[in-house]
Amino acid sequence: MKHNKDRILSMLLPLISLGLFFVLWFWLARAEDSMIPTPYETLLRLLEICRKPISKATLPIHIWVSLRRVLIAFFCAIVMGVSFGVALGWNRTFRALVNPIFEILRPIPPIAWIPLIILWCGIGELPKVIIVLIGSVVPIVLNTYSGMKEIDPLLLDAGKVLGAGRRQLLWEITLPATVPAILAGIRTALSSGWMCVVAAEMIAARQGVGFLIVRGQESGDTALIVACMLVIGVVSMLLSTVLIKLEGVLCPWQFSKTK
Amino acid sequence: MREEAKVKVRNLTKSFGELLVLDDISFDIKKGDFVCIVGPTGCGKTTFLNLLVKLIEPTSGEILIDGEPADPKKHNMAFVFQEPSAYPWLTVEENIQYGLKIKKMPKNVIAERTEEILDVLGLRDVRKTYPHQLSASLEQRVVIGRAFALHPDLLLMDEPYAQMDIKMRYYLEDQVIKLWQRTGSTVLFITHNIEEAIYLSEKCLILSNKPTTVKEEKTIDLPRPRDIALPEFIALREYVTNQIKWW
Repeated sequence: MKHNKDRILSMLLPLISLGLFFVLWFWLARAEDSMIPTPYETLLRLLEICRKPISKATLPIHIWVSLRRVLIAFFCAIVMGVSFGVALGWNRTFRALVNPIFEILRPIPPIAWIPLIILWCGIGELPKVIIVLIGSVVPIVLNTYSGMKEIDPLLLDAGKVLGAGRRQLLWEITLPATVPAILAGIRTALSSGWMCVVAAEMIAARQGVGFLIVRGQESGDTALIVACMLVIGVVSMLLSTVLIKLEGVLCPWQFSKTK
Repeated sequence: MREEAKVKVRNLTKSFGELLVLDDISFDIKKGDFVCIVGPTGCGKTTFLNLLVKLIEPTSGEILIDGEPADPKKHNMAFVFQEPSAYPWLTVEENIQYGLKIKKMPKNVIAERTEEILDVLGLRDVRKTYPHQLSASLEQRVVIGRAFALHPDLLLMDEPYAQMDIKMRYYLEDQVIKLWQRTGSTVLFITHNIEEAIYLSEKCLILSNKPTTVKEEKTIDLPRPRDIALPEFIALREYVTNQIKWW
C-alpha cells in the first residue's frame, strides 16, 4: 500500500526532524563554556516567566502587548495597502505620479525608520505601530498591484462584452480576481509585521517580547533570550495558520480544486 | 423590399502596425439570420468579432448594430470566446446569472432563466461547484450558458465548440439552433469546421487569406433539421471547402 506508506512517512518525518533539532540543541548546549541554555533550562525559564512578572508583566501580557501593536498596525496596513495597490493598478495617472516615489521608499528596510520615528513620535505606542505599519504595508501594496496587473484579460473582455461598466469591471471582476494575490500579500505582511515589532521593541520599549530579549541580553540570561525566540516562532506560526484558514473562508474557489 | 439589417459593416479595415488584417470589408447581416464565418486559419476571424463588440477599435470603417455604433452596454449581445472564460470566484449558477445581473433583469426572470439553462446545458448536477473543479469542456458549457441566458438579440460565438467531443458538439449545435429559432436572435458563429458551418447556418461568409476580404457570401438553403449525409449537404460542404483552399 503505497498510499499508506506515504501517510506514515509524512507523519513520521516531522517528528524525526524535530527530534534531531532538540538533540543537536542539547549537544551544543552541553559543550564546554557554551552560551546556549539546554532545552530543559529554556523550558523552566519559560514556565517561570509565565508566572513571575518581568517589568510588571508576565509572559502572556508581553505577548499580548506585542500582538496588539502588530494587529493595530496590520489592520491599518490592510486598509491602506489594498486601496493604494488598487489605485496603482487601476489608475494610470496615479501610477505614473506615485510609483517612482514608492519605488524609492519601498527598498528601505522598516528598521531603518526606527531612529527617525522615535525622534518624531517619542517612545510611546505610536512609534512601534508606525514601524510595523511600514513593514507590513509594502507587501500588501506590491501583491495587490501585481495581482491586478496579472488578471486574465479574457475575464475583463467577457465582462465588457456583457455590458459591464468601468465600476463593475473593478468591483465585480478585477477585485475578486485579485483576492488570492491580496491574501498572499496579507500573509507576508503579518509575518513581516511581527518581525518589525520585535525589532522596534528591542530598541525602545518597556514591554513586549522584543523587550524581553533585550532584558535577557542585558542580564546575561540566555535562557530568557532563547525562550522568547521560541515564543516568537510559535506565535508567528499560529498567526499564519489562522490566516490560511481565513483564506479558505474568503476564497473558497481556490481551495476546492479537486480536479 | 430590403430586409432590415441587424449588423451593417462598412469599409471595415484593421491593421496592427504594418500588418493589414482586414481589408475594406463591407456586408450586411439581416435580422434573425444565422451566419457562419469560415476561412483559412489565422485570417482574422477572431479580430473581426472583437471589432464587432468594441474590444478593439477599427483602423477605419464602421460597424453599425441596429443602425447605431456597436456598444455592448446598449445592445443585448452575448459573446462566447474560444477559451473558457467563466469567472473562477463564481459558482456555475452564479456565472450563468452574471450577464443577467449586469443587465439588471428582474429576480424572477433570473431565477427562471437559470433553471432553463441548467437543464439545456446539463449543468444541474454541478450548479454549486466552481469552474476550477470542471473540465475545460464543461467550463465552456457554463460560458455558453451565460451567453444563452441573456436571450441575446445578437449572439457571437468564436469557435465555441472546438474543445468538445463530437457527441457534445452535435448536441450543442442543435441547442444553439433551438435558441435561435425560439428567440429570433441573430447569430454570428465562427468555426473552422465546414460541416458545422453548413449544418448551422443560413448563410456562410467565406473569408479570404490575409489581408482578409469577404470572398463569397454563400446562402445555405437546406431544410431543417439538416442531414449531414444528404447529397446536397455534401455538395455544399465540398464547395465551401474548395473556396477556402488557398493553394
